[in-house]
Formats: sequence, C-alpha cells, structure tokens
Amino acid sequence: MRRLLNLALLVLLVSLAASAEETIKIGGIGPLSAPGTVVGGIAMKFAMELAVQDVNNWGGVLGKPLELVFADTEGLPERGAAMAERLITKDKVVAIVGEYHSSVGLAVAEVCHKYGIPVLFAETWADAITETGYMEVFRIAPASSMVSIAWADWMKAVGVKRVVLIYETTDYGIGRMETEKQLLAERGIEVVATFGVEIGSTDFTPILMRIKAMDPPPDVVSAASVTGETSYNLERQMVEMGIAPTPQTIGIANQVAIQPEFWESVPGGNYFVFNQVGLPPAKWNFITRHVARAYYEHFHTKPPSYVLESYDAVWIMADAIERAGTTDPKALIEALERTDIVLSQGRYWFEYGSHNPLPEDVPKFMWHQWPNPATLIIQYFEPNQSWEEAAVLWPPSYQTHGVLYIVPGTKP
Amino acid sequence: MGVHPFVICWLIFAGPLWAAIGAGWLSRVYHRKGLERASARFVGGLGGGAFGPVFLVPVHFLTPDLRKWQWKAGTGAALVLELFLLFALLQPQNLCVTNANYVVNQILNGLSIGFIYALMGVGLTLIYSVQGIVNFAHGQFYMLGGYISYYFLNSVGDVNPLLGIPIAGLFTAILGGLFERLFLRPMHLGRVERPSEYAILMTFGFGFLLEYTTLGVVGPFPKMVTQPYVNLPRLEIFHFLILPNRWVAGCVGVVLFLALIYFLYRTWWGKALRAVSMNKMAASIAGINPLSMNTTAFSIGTLLVGMAGAALIPIFSWVPGVGAKASTRCYVVTVLGGLGSVPGALLGGLILGVVEALGAGCYPDPTKGAAYRDVFGLIVFALVLLLKPTGLFGRKV
Repeated sequence: MRRLLNLALLVLLVSLAASAEETIKIGGIGPLSAPGTVVGGIAMKFAMELAVQDVNNWGGVLGKPLELVFADTEGLPERGAAMAERLITKDKVVAIVGEYHSSVGLAVAEVCHKYGIPVLFAETWADAITETGYMEVFRIAPASSMVSIAWADWMKAVGVKRVVLIYETTDYGIGRMETEKQLLAERGIEVVATFGVEIGSTDFTPILMRIKAMDPPPDVVSAASVTGETSYNLERQMVEMGIAPTPQTIGIANQVAIQPEFWESVPGGNYFVFNQVGLPPAKWNFITRHVARAYYEHFHTKPPSYVLESYDAVWIMADAIERAGTTDPKALIEALERTDIVLSQGRYWFEYGSHNPLPEDVPKFMWHQWPNPATLIIQYFEPNQSWEEAAVLWPPSYQTHGVLYIVPGTKP
Repeated sequence: MGVHPFVICWLIFAGPLWAAIGAGWLSRVYHRKGLERASARFVGGLGGGAFGPVFLVPVHFLTPDLRKWQWKAGTGAALVLELFLLFALLQPQNLCVTNANYVVNQILNGLSIGFIYALMGVGLTLIYSVQGIVNFAHGQFYMLGGYISYYFLNSVGDVNPLLGIPIAGLFTAILGGLFERLFLRPMHLGRVERPSEYAILMTFGFGFLLEYTTLGVVGPFPKMVTQPYVNLPRLEIFHFLILPNRWVAGCVGVVLFLALIYFLYRTWWGKALRAVSMNKMAASIAGINPLSMNTTAFSIGTLLVGMAGAALIPIFSWVPGVGAKASTRCYVVTVLGGLGSVPGALLGGLILGVVEALGAGCYPDPTKGAAYRDVFGLIVFALVLLLKPTGLFGRKV
C-alpha cells in the first residue's frame, strides 16, 4: 500500500513538473492588502487573469499556455521589491506586469533592472518611473506630468491669457501647482494669482472675494489641484459667488467631478471642466466592450482605466514574447520596444527607446512610455449630466463634439 | 529688507513692548491701591499698545475706574485703528486698503458665519457653566445634526431645508440627554473616583463613537442638501456681494440665540439652570434638582449645536470628519467670550468670523492667506488668554 502511495506521489510530481515546463510564466503585481489600495489591486488581478485566459483561448504563446503568478505588494515599496525578487528568482517569471502605487513601482523597477527582467507598469503615475531610462522599464499609464501638460496645451489652444490656480497645501497640490505654473509660463500664459488652501477647509469666501475683486476677471479659475470633498465646497462657492464658470471665466474642477456625488454637492456645477484618465465609452472598441462586460458581471460597475491597462499589459507582453520567438529577456525587451498593437485602450507603441533615442527637448519620462494614454479634458454642458455624456474637449483625437470649449449658456 | 521708519517709531512709542509694560504695571498699581486688577491688566495692555506712555502715565497717577466698558472698547478700537493705519502704510497696494467694498464684503461674510459659530459655541458654554465639564463630543453632535437633517429632507422630498433644523435639534437633544443621563450622571452622584478625568474620557470616547459609527453607516462620500433656503445664490447691491443662503443660516443662529436668552432669563427652567450654574448647593436648597438640570443643560447644548449643523448642511458639503474642525472653533469661540458666558459666546463667534475673514482676505501674501486662516483665529485666542484669561465676558473663577 505504502509503495503504491509513493508511486502515485511520484507520478503526481512528474506530471506537475511537466506541466510547469509547458507554461510560460509572467508575474503580476498589485496591492491586495492594506495599506495598499485593495480595490485597485483586486480589479487589476481580475483583469490580468481575464487577459491570460483570453491569451490561452487564442492558443497561448510560443505554442505553450501562459501562466500568471500574482504577488501582493501591499502598497509597500519594500514588500514590492521582495515580491519582485521572489517572482524572478523562485517562480522564474519571464516578465512582470501591473502595479498600482508609484512608490512600489519605483522599488520594483530597481529589482527588475538588477536582474534584467522586463517590467510593464500599468498604473503608476510618478514621472520618475520612466525617467531612470532603464532598458527593462516600460509604462502604459500616463506620467503625472502628461496630465499637467494636457491642461496647459488645452489652455493655450483655447487662447487663455490670465489664470488663477487654487491648490491644496500638500505635497501633491504644491508640486502640481509648481509644475503647472512653469508649463503655463512656457506657453506665454500668465498665472495672475495662486491660492493655497488647507485640505478639509469648508469656507473659501475670503479668497474667492479676492478673485471677485480682480479687474478684469481672470480667464480661468482652476481648482484642479484641490482634492476630495474640499474641492466640492470650493467649486460650489465659486458658482454661488458668480466667479466661474461664467461666460468670461472658465471654471476647472478637480477630477472627482466625475463622481455622481458631484451634482449633489455642486448643484450649479454645469459647464465645469475637469480631467479624466481613460477612454470615454464613445471611443470603446470591441476589446474594451469585452473587458467591460466581464468586469461588469463581476463588479457591477464600469471598468476604471487601470483595469483596461492591466488587461492590455498582459496582452502586450504575450505579443512581445510571440514576436521575440523566445523568452530571453534581451530579445523580449527588443520586441517590446517595437510593440504596435491595438488593444482595449487603442493602439500601443513606445515612441522612445534604444530603437529611437530620446531627443534633448523631449521630457525624460517619455522613455519607454506609451505616448497616447487618454488624458481627457471633459466639460459638462447639461445639469446632472453623467461624464460619459459630457463633451470631450481635448486632446483633439478624442473630441466628441468637435469643440475646444463650450461657453456657459450655450450648447455644443 | 528695510523696516519702514513709521514702524520703528511705533515700536518705540507704542506697540507690543508698551502693551506688556501696561498690562504688568497697571495691574500692579491697581492691586496696590486695592482696586480690581483684571480689567487694569486688560485695559493697560490695550492702551499701552495703542498710546504707549501717553496713556499709561496719566492712568498710573489718576487710576480711573477701568471696569467700565467704555475703557475697554475705546482702547481696543484705538489699537485696531492704529494697527490698520500701520498696515495701510506698509501695504498701500493691498485690497483691504484700496477697496472699501472688498473690506465690507469680507466683514459681512465674516458676520454671517460668525452667528453660526456663536450658535455652535453657546451650547458648549452652557454645558460648561452648569456641569463644569467640557463636552469633547460637541463637534460630533454638530456633524450628526447635519446628517439627520440631510436624511430627513431626503426622505420627505422637496421641502425647505429650514424644516430639517428642528428635527435635527430634537434628535441630538434626545441623544445628548440620554448620554448625559447614562454616562455622566454617575460622576455627579459621586460614583466615579476621578470625575474630571472621567468626563474628559467619556465625552471624548463618545465623540469617537459617534464619528466612526456615522462613517460606517453613511460612508466617506460627501453629502449635501441640494435644496437651498432661498433660490437666489447671490445678491449684488452696489458692489456689495451678499450670499442670501448664508444669511438665512446666520439669521437662524440669531433667532435661536434670542430664544435661548428668553428661555434662560424668562422661564422657570432657565432661571433654575442659571441658579445651578451659580451655586449648586443654594439651588438645591431652593428646591431645584441639580441632576435634572445637568441633563437639561446637556440636552439644550446638544440641541443648539445639532441645529447649527442642520443649518449649515445646505451650505457646506458634509463628511463624518467635519466635527473635529468644528470642535476647535467651538473652543475658540467659548474661550474668547469667556467660558460660561452666553453673550460672550455671541461676541466670540462674531469676532472669530470677522477675524478669520479679514485675516484670510487681507494677508499680504494671497497665496498663503487662506491656508493660514485658522491661525488668525488662534492668534486672537492667544492674545485674549494672555490679557484676559477669563475671556471677554468671563466671570471670575
């Protein structure tokens, strides 16, 4: 009996080893426990598993099935580094995809650089991730400066001259205000005043009265760098005091204006402009709809951009392995640099890399960076509108109503 | 950076140095002569700051009765005027110097908010004067009042948000009364070993309980009553900007304040409350049960602050964390006016509202003005504590 059991175990082990040899492993990373953003990690893991399933239904890569080994980074850089190390040395993954938090991404990038294993980041925004210029590091999420650049370019296109920036006095708010100030100055737009507000304040009338007393009124009042419910109070008071949005002044809201609560907190918030990363449903293709359907069945809501990014990241990696014809890291990186594939967020390619060195005048974060993530500038033009129905103003390639700006009181 | 010669002159002939000398010196002189020293310190500080030796020397010899309010108001007004002139000299381009409309607008706005601050603070002061404890859950009752009004208005549909105010007040009053009856009464019955620590821990703990229970029930997303008091977001009359909804909230504050004063001075219960706050023993001899007065005071205190919350939820968006910031304001208001003084809370609220608005509106660096907003209130708070530790209307402890 005992001998029989041993034999059975042996057979099981051999078959396991054989099946392990037959798959090609890629590592997935994301936060599945606090202090990481757990909802983000769960959604990303779901999208990656869906993509692996789809790749295998397609026939796998190099004639073998693709296997995902997912590791929980907990939103902690040291944990992320340890997990990347484990995936590479113990699980022998050929590449790593995913991650939600920038701080973790930076740590993982170092590990991947050490072992020469390619990593494709799906949702880490810090400019520094791609600024290092490592051969191994790729990104399909936007770099945070791309959002500020989108704002500045749009303002220039609209013909704005004088801008007021309101920002929260946190690392995020101050950093963003300084970047935007510089970008606007480069485009010949004057920042007439900046106002720092403490996060959690409720009454902004004293500073809004300062703006009200400006003669002539500014062309733009931006609350984009004030986050959360603080921005709702600020935007509501901007409307109540008749500062923006008005026919003279463009009002810019924080990106949380996309939430349904916006209309409850800012009932007069029609004609506010705000930004959103990710495609509007009007621009979805059949792959996006496929992901959205699967995601909806599971989570009963529309997929956020990082779900689409995670799904696409797995496919981009599978495509690169297939084109490289091998899992050798060097060949894989070379294949990744020449990526040109249409997936759920549209066409992916990496403009700058060893195949096309970064010119002096292009920002350093554009290295191995997908140049076209949808950093949309959107404007409401009906009260209680959902963001999917609102007008996309910028970039021109995503415009839905063919206009750069809707003057309050008019319709596109 | 060069210092303006006028500033040097001011620092030599008046200013903080003379204020300190005035406060210290006059209080000693008055004490030596057997006169009241608290008001001598207060007026001495203000007068010294405004006029320097020109004020201090004659007062030193004549020792007039400084307890009259004219002295306090006169020297206070002179100092404020002097500081404004100095400010105008240093910042000739500042909006607060060049644009009178702007200043009036800021003051009006500060007053409208000030009435609500007063309403928030007066509940705290009432509880303190009767029970001798500080209610550290005060801000959380304010938060709760807002939510009650929100859910009430949402359930009944399209009605004026004024209706939510009494409902919210009723709820917070009942909750406050129950809390007092169950958790604070043992302290008054002598069943607790260290009553003052007990009261701090109890109210603090209850505040946490309220905040996190609310967070669990309503979630972290901001809520707000969309229906305004009046369907008129702003009124502009001769460049004066008036936000009618804020004034409605402010008027609610005034009306409730008048009602409170009527209650305290004209009804038996109010008189009994005041009696207990003056002397518990004497009041119980006269047939007033101090225990039920404790519960009444706590109920009325939480009623008022709950109503203040309900009055503001159509104006500011609401998250479970709003209570913490409101608590700080309540402490400043009550200490400014004097702990235990009802008219003091009104004055304290108005002063805080106007100081915050003018501070944020006039601070030379506009980038920082709003971020420093809470600081301006706290500066006045610190000054009052330095010059008159019992607050503007405080009674002698």
